[in-house]
Amino acid sequence: MASSRQHSSGTVPATDGLTVIGQGIHVHGRIHGEEDLRIEGRVEGGISLTETVYIAESGVVVATIDARDVVVSGVVVGNVSATNSVSLEPGAKLVGDISAPRLIIADGAAFRGNVAMTEGGSAPPKRARTTTSRSSSSSTSTKTKTTKASRSSSSSSSTSQSRASTAKRSTPRVAAIRAPKSTARPDDEVTVIVKHAALSEEEEPKASKSTKKKAKKSPPRGRVPKPGKRRVNRR
Amino acid sequence: MANTVIGSTIVIDGEITGDEDLVVQGTVKGRVGLRENIMVEESGVLEANVETATITIHGTVTGDIQAAERAELKSNCRVVGDIRAPRILIADGASFKGNVDMDG
Repeated sequence: MASSRQHSSGTVPATDGLTVIGQGIHVHGRIHGEEDLRIEGRVEGGISLTETVYIAESGVVVATIDARDVVVSGVVVGNVSATNSVSLEPGAKLVGDISAPRLIIADGAAFRGNVAMTEGGSAPPKRARTTTSRSSSSSTSTKTKTTKASRSSSSSSSTSQSRASTAKRSTPRVAAIRAPKSTARPDDEVTVIVKHAALSEEEEPKASKSTKKKAKKSPPRGRVPKPGKRRVNRR
Repeated sequence: MANTVIGSTIVIDGEITGDEDLVVQGTVKGRVGLRENIMVEESGVLEANVETATITIHGTVTGDIQAAERAELKSNCRVVGDIRAPRILIADGASFKGNVDMDG
C-alpha cells in the first residue's frame, strides 16, 4: 500500500497546469474544467471535465462524475460517466452506475452498481450500404440484359415496345432524375428506365404494385436467357 | 503534503474548506474557508467570500476577505469587497474598491 501510494503521488506531481484537490481540502459544489484533476481530498457535488479525473487513495468523492477518463484509486459514491474509459484500480471503492465505452476493473477493486458499455449509432450506415448495393447490382444486371437484348433486338422488337410503355408509366415519378441521363447517353436510355423501374419496385408501397406487375411480367418473355446471365454474374 | 491547485481552466462553483495551502489559477465561486494560505494567481478569479490565515492576490477577487494574519494585494490585481485583517498590504498598481478594517 505504501509503495503504491508513493508511486501514485510520484506519477502525478503537484505542479502548475494540473489541478489538485489536496488531502486537507473539502470542496462542496460543482467542479468543471478542461484539464486533468487529481483529487486527494474530499469532493461533494458534481465533477464534469473534458480530461482525466484521478481519485487518489486518500480521495473521497460523493458526486456525479462526467469526464473523458476516470481513474479511481480511492472512494467514489455516485454515477460515473466517461466518454473514453473508467478504470478501477486495486483498493478502489465505487458505488454507483458506470457508463463508458471501456471499463477496467482491477483485482482488489470494490464496485456495486450498473454498467453500460454501449456505443451508439451503427444501424443507419448499414441501411445505407444495403440500399446502395441493391441499386448498383440491379443496374448492372439490367445493363447486361439490355446489351443482350439489343443483340436480339430484331427478333424482340415487341419487348422494347413494352419497355417503352413501362417507361411512359414511370416517367412522372422519376422525370427529374431520368431527364439528364437520357440526354447525355441516348444508348443507355433503356437501361436507365429499367433501373428506375426496379428501384421503384423496391421502394414504393403495395398500392402501385398492380400496374407495375403487368409491366414487370411482359419483359421477361423477351429476355429468355435470364437464368443464364445470373449464373454468369455469380461466377 | 501537496498543495491544492485549481488550474486555469477549472471552475469550482460551491464551497472549499480545509487546512492546507490553496493556489487559484482558475475560477472559484461561492465560499472559501481555510486555515492556511491562499494564493490567487494572475489568471485566477475568486468570486467568493474568503476566510483564511493569509491571502496573496495577483488576480481578481470579488467578495469579502477576512484574513486572520495578512492580506496582500499585489500590483495588477483587482479586488472588490471588504477586507478585514490585522495587516493589509496594497502594492502600487493594485485596484481595490471596498472597506478596510485593520482591527484584527
